[in-house]
Amino acid sequence: MAVKVSTLDERIKLTDSADSPLDTQEYFINMGPQHPATHGVLRLMLKLDGETVREVIPVLGYIHRGIEKIGEHSTYRQFVHLTDRCDYLSAMMNNWAVSLMVEKALKVELNDRIEYIRTIMAELERIQSHMLWWGVLGMDLGAFTPFLYGFRDRELITDIFEETIGCRLTMNYIQPGGVMDDIHPNFVDRVKKVIEYAKPKIDEYEELLSGNVIIQERLRNVGVLSADKATSLGVTGPVLRASGVPLDLRRVAPYGVYDKVNFEVAVGSVGDCWDRYWVRIEEIRQSMSMIEQLIDNIPAGKTMLMKPAKKTVLPEGSHYAQLETARGILGIYAVSDGVSDKPVRIHMRSPNYNNVWSADEMTRDSRIGDLVANVSSIDIVVPDIDR
Amino acid sequence: MSYIDPKKSSRSAIEVGGVPVNIVVAPRGATGDKREGLLTIFYKSVKSLLTGMKVTIGYLVRPSTVVTQQYPENRETLKMFERFRGQLRLVKDENGYMNCNGCDFCEKACPNGSIILQDRRNSVSGKSELERYLWRLDSCTFCNACIQACPHDALEWSDGFEAAVYDRRLLVYTLNDYAGPPVNHIKRFKKKAGTPEDRVEELLATMEPRHQYGGPTPLSGKGMPGVPPLKTD
Repeated sequence: MAVKVSTLDERIKLTDSADSPLDTQEYFINMGPQHPATHGVLRLMLKLDGETVREVIPVLGYIHRGIEKIGEHSTYRQFVHLTDRCDYLSAMMNNWAVSLMVEKALKVELNDRIEYIRTIMAELERIQSHMLWWGVLGMDLGAFTPFLYGFRDRELITDIFEETIGCRLTMNYIQPGGVMDDIHPNFVDRVKKVIEYAKPKIDEYEELLSGNVIIQERLRNVGVLSADKATSLGVTGPVLRASGVPLDLRRVAPYGVYDKVNFEVAVGSVGDCWDRYWVRIEEIRQSMSMIEQLIDNIPAGKTMLMKPAKKTVLPEGSHYAQLETARGILGIYAVSDGVSDKPVRIHMRSPNYNNVWSADEMTRDSRIGDLVANVSSIDIVVPDIDR
Repeated sequence: MSYIDPKKSSRSAIEVGGVPVNIVVAPRGATGDKREGLLTIFYKSVKSLLTGMKVTIGYLVRPSTVVTQQYPENRETLKMFERFRGQLRLVKDENGYMNCNGCDFCEKACPNGSIILQDRRNSVSGKSELERYLWRLDSCTFCNACIQACPHDALEWSDGFEAAVYDRRLLVYTLNDYAGPPVNHIKRFKKKAGTPEDRVEELLATMEPRHQYGGPTPLSGKGMPGVPPLKTD
């Protein structure tokens, strides 16, 4: 199959021009890089025909920091803290992906305590990520209250992180060979309290936003992404599941202790904004039930199996590991020469990069107002796109 | 277009790539013959708006649910968690002697060179010891790698988080307040030496004071790699 590659210059050429004074003319307008609805420094070039969006061209690179290149001259343990700065809302899951890659390459067998702590932390992180997304989606669609409620409840989860780890956003907690610190003595109680508090709050979210007829009308049948299109674009995570493809690595290729917990994979049927919205709300509930199953059974054991100061040299060849972050599949690929403790090449297959291109498919031939809902429902984190 | 009841999801079990997966399918509004009448939709829509209002008004009339922190006013009572990563500092014992002996592990573990460490050899004991411990808060990412790598428990986080200054050169600190032997060198020296008292006095006399902004840090005007000197009037 021939793949048509077009440059930005070609794509921004206007196709229609006005023949008579009554004809409309296509025009381009920039949304971003400084726009509240693009959640960061993402620039979307919109080809518009009146209010109708003909094409969305994401222009990336505004916060490119060369994290993959920095990774080539830092050790694996040092690289972990850079992954915090990619998708900062699933920071610990990013750390886990690097750790998983190193452990897979070195064939390190972890004990159950490490796996339990990692899984609980990842699920807490998923909850706080979805809570923030829920609030921001409300704000994008014109409701300011959800933003405050989402942040209020997320704060309690970041407090859990702060007590055990010391950081609220960029944790650098999950390390190759274990976790950085043991959990704080208050951790279990605090998690239970937060889950108990947050469960009725999710019902409140449903009353406030999901049940609201205005939100339903703004999300339903808006930005439809079919299952075929979603898979061909390489979209993963809640966006893919909302299109009806139940691909969840936690279930299909379990890591951590996901094979020991019962949970259901939330999927949609149409692939519109409403399905994406509902899938994430349901994922919060599923994550809470997962944490409830795990929190009482954390076994005893060591929390770090590889000495931090010791040189970590991966065997020669390429190594890959992937897992499911709050936004989709994150894969870490590293090539080692078998001598140095630094990778020759490191690459991240980040979920947001693939997800952002679906904005064009969703929005084509709909209105600018729907674009805001679409971009918000994809839940992009821009630093992860540019890296 | 009918109203969607968010609670009406359907559950089923399917197989993905040979793995059984339980799925929950998102609710959709009734379609086709089951479509609701206009009046029903109108009733449910108005009700949904009122339900949302009930939630917000509920918070309005219950001030006990307010969670706002009155930050500079509550400075006195604000307490950070014990593991909070505020600012780096050297651990000192009750006599003011530090644990750090300048072994370089933290400098090697630091991912971006925020720690610059100079050591020297003691003229009395002949052992290497810390001369100057420079920490650049401006480039520190608070990744905890230095503390994790330290074999002597010589580093810890303080809970100070108010580090805002007008000039980033003020964020380059000398962490040690003296250059000289660490606490375990002094203890070992006491045990070993033949005439302990005089020799220990001699060892302690090699200590030199260090100031937070003294020496080759920016305020002295000498500069350091990557940081231009700061002129003070």
